[in-house]
Amino acid sequence: MEQKDQLFKQIFDTNSKKIFHLCYGYTGDKDSANDLLQETFLKVWQNLDKFRNKSLISTWIYRIAVNTCLTYLRSEKRQAKDELTDNIIENKVEEYSEKNEQIALLYKSISKLEENDRLIITMVLDELPYNEIAEISGISEGNLRVKIHRIKQKLTEIYNEHARI
Amino acid sequence: MQEFEDIQSLWQSHTVEVNISSEEMLAQAKKEVNSIRTKSLLNIGGMVLSLLAFAALWLFFDFQSWTTHAGIGIIVCSIAIYTFILYRGYRLISQNDFTAHPNEFLSQLKLYQLNRFSLYHKLYWFYTIALSIAIVLFFFEVLSYFSFWKQCMTIVFTFGWMIFCSTIFRKAVMNREKERINLLIEKFERISAQFKETGH
Repeated sequence: MEQKDQLFKQIFDTNSKKIFHLCYGYTGDKDSANDLLQETFLKVWQNLDKFRNKSLISTWIYRIAVNTCLTYLRSEKRQAKDELTDNIIENKVEEYSEKNEQIALLYKSISKLEENDRLIITMVLDELPYNEIAEISGISEGNLRVKIHRIKQKLTEIYNEHARI
Repeated sequence: MQEFEDIQSLWQSHTVEVNISSEEMLAQAKKEVNSIRTKSLLNIGGMVLSLLAFAALWLFFDFQSWTTHAGIGIIVCSIAIYTFILYRGYRLISQNDFTAHPNEFLSQLKLYQLNRFSLYHKLYWFYTIALSIAIVLFFFEVLSYFSFWKQCMTIVFTFGWMIFCSTIFRKAVMNREKERINLLIEKFERISAQFKETGH
């Protein structure tokens, strides 16, 4: 039992930042990303005995995170809060530095992509090897390369479009 | 005009802070798993208790009419079936494999949600009809021991409650569940289509 606790803590310390970034990229909202991070690691804890070393543990955790994100349904309460946050952001835009604005724009651009594309591009931005992304998402590497090329183009296009406004 | 590489370096320059420590996360995970377990145990325990209460009523009271025996028998069977299905449901929920490939996982989950909704829909009617028949049979003998006004009040209250449960209450619960399922299924279909893309 002690050993499982230790292993879990070690896994959390090594992977939580990347998983949080993935969830943040998917939702574009810190609170939701935090909920998703906790939900992911709850499932990691529940399924830890099932992990058979067939793949890297990080790949396995990413897959749990991807599945958790895909099944995430934004609650009405959260949606109302998000709308409020959007308004606050718009009203206080002058308080932001240029870099913060660019980052906000980047998250906004990612949110315009389709759900699956959002997750894939987040992993690409975090420089995960393509074979690992293919294993996480269950897409063949050949198809994934074409897909990534298209998502990169789309994201750049959306980002530049928004930046001009 | 930014290139993808600029966007990537912008992404990587944005450091995120995780607000929860590994100790806190471990405690949280253990707490949640325990609370899920306690909740299912309480649910199943409550059903088992009511099953035992009706079984005790059957054993320790000397009912004369066959209708009372039939009524209690149906109630006991309905509760037993419902408890079993509840137990099966909890086992099924824990079988959702979050470690499977996303597309496979989504199709399994979609099937599970649809099956569960149709089962609950059918089960609701089975449960309502069985309990209504059981109560009518039970009342044949039991009500004869009551005064006229008590008989009227018991009948009005029981049937009023049953009508409320199978109309307003049921409609509200089913609508909420249906909306949730529709939203989930719509999302699963949209995402599954994204996975089916061949990338050409």
